[in-house]
Amino acid sequence: MRRALLLVGSPKAGPSTSGALGAYLLDRLAEHGVQAETRRVAEVLRDPAGLGELAGAVDRSNLFVVSFPLYVDSLPAPVVRCFEGLAAVWGARAGGRPRFAAVVNCRFPEASQCDTALAICRRFAAETGLSWAGGLALGGGGAVGGRPLDRAGGRVRNVRTALDQAGAALARGEAVPERAVHLMAKPLVPRWLYLLIGNLHWTCAARRHGAFRRLHDRPYA
Amino acid sequence: MAAAEAYVLDGTRDGDEAAGAVVGALLARLGQAGWRAEAVRLRDVEIAPCLGCFGCWTNTPGRCVIDDGAGEITRRAIGSGLLVYATPVVFGGYASPLKHALDRMICLVSPFFQVVDGEVHHRLRYPRYPRLLGVGAAEGEDGERDRLFETLVRRNALNLHAGRWAAGVVRTDEPGDRREARLDQLLQDVGRAP
Ligand SMILES: Cc1cc2nc3c(=O)[nH]c(=O)nc-3n(C[C@H](O)[C@H](O)[C@H](O)COP(=O)(O)O)c2cc1C
Repeated sequence: MRRALLLVGSPKAGPSTSGALGAYLLDRLAEHGVQAETRRVAEVLRDPAGLGELAGAVDRSNLFVVSFPLYVDSLPAPVVRCFEGLAAVWGARAGGRPRFAAVVNCRFPEASQCDTALAICRRFAAETGLSWAGGLALGGGGAVGGRPLDRAGGRVRNVRTALDQAGAALARGEAVPERAVHLMAKPLVPRWLYLLIGNLHWTCAARRHGAFRRLHDRPYA
Repeated sequence: MAAAEAYVLDGTRDGDEAAGAVVGALLARLGQAGWRAEAVRLRDVEIAPCLGCFGCWTNTPGRCVIDDGAGEITRRAIGSGLLVYATPVVFGGYASPLKHALDRMICLVSPFFQVVDGEVHHRLRYPRYPRLLGVGAAEGEDGERDRLFETLVRRNALNLHAGRWAAGVVRTDEPGDRREARLDQLLQDVGRAP
């Protein structure tokens, strides 16, 4: 039985888009006979033995997948901390480690804003002896909003298809196919609509929290 | 803080001695270049991870909902004339202490979107933002690593509305005078102290 390990890199306590994308990918892998486990970064880092345990779990798997939100053009700090920890546990580069793939989602509508984060993942693989199997980037992640992809509606059809294709390829031991990368990167809604909905979202959220009048505050001026 | 002040976010981790020496040299060169420089060693400050709640935009606009050491760092950062990210280069990016601080600083911009050079970014919250200098410390020659680090700083500068920015990797295995020359070049690139 082949095994995959998913690390969900969203620091959110509740449902996250990273978790939803990762879970959908694991379901596809399971359909192809790959048994999978999931870890969340916060849990790994809370446990003093967590990084050592994670390193062992990665080594026991054939495929390591990390799914995370873009934070400040890069990986969320807890994911960086996990990568640092894995590198320290593993020591110098050695071959024979599993294959490694990354799924990034960001708020801005352009998936290309995730390129730097994917390049960092690729370097992490190169420096630790993991074998890079490619990455997928999704822009406008707010459209998923942490919902399971099966229930996130027709707008995320391309996202599902991209993950179907990626899952099938990864299960066969191949890299994430280019066509999946392109599909995943397709804007979910036209940009003007995204901007309109996005800006309205912040206004409504602030109103809900009674902070509408303070939206433009400058507490550190 | 004032326009001539440089605020250095020291992202070194325990045991990052070679990178720590680069931060020391950087502080000295900043002083030489006319900046009043001050560094905060982030690993000594209690900074909880960002929880991704966006409370800093919609509950307590401009301020993170977690009250810890990140608040003071954010205040000093926006008040400085030059914000410096000093970090070991980790997989082409920043070390975790620096990344923890930066994740907590998104309250410095507005949640609202705008289009810049054909890409969506956030609008300004403050009327002025510091210049940004990224100084990475790493061993050996590796052009791909250096380009990746510079690209990350450039992307951050765009999102943080830094009018002027510079970034580069200083090699920890080079002699002191070569490192100083590299730092001086970066300080020149980011512009003279006011
Ligand atoms: C601290 C922080 C930094 C962020 N930085 C970026 C960014 O640089 N670019 C971007 O498009 N979205 C950014 N986002 C938005 C998240 O990537 C986006 O909301 C994502 O969909 C969250 O995914 P999750 O539900 O898996 O946590 C940031 C969010 C937070 C909280």
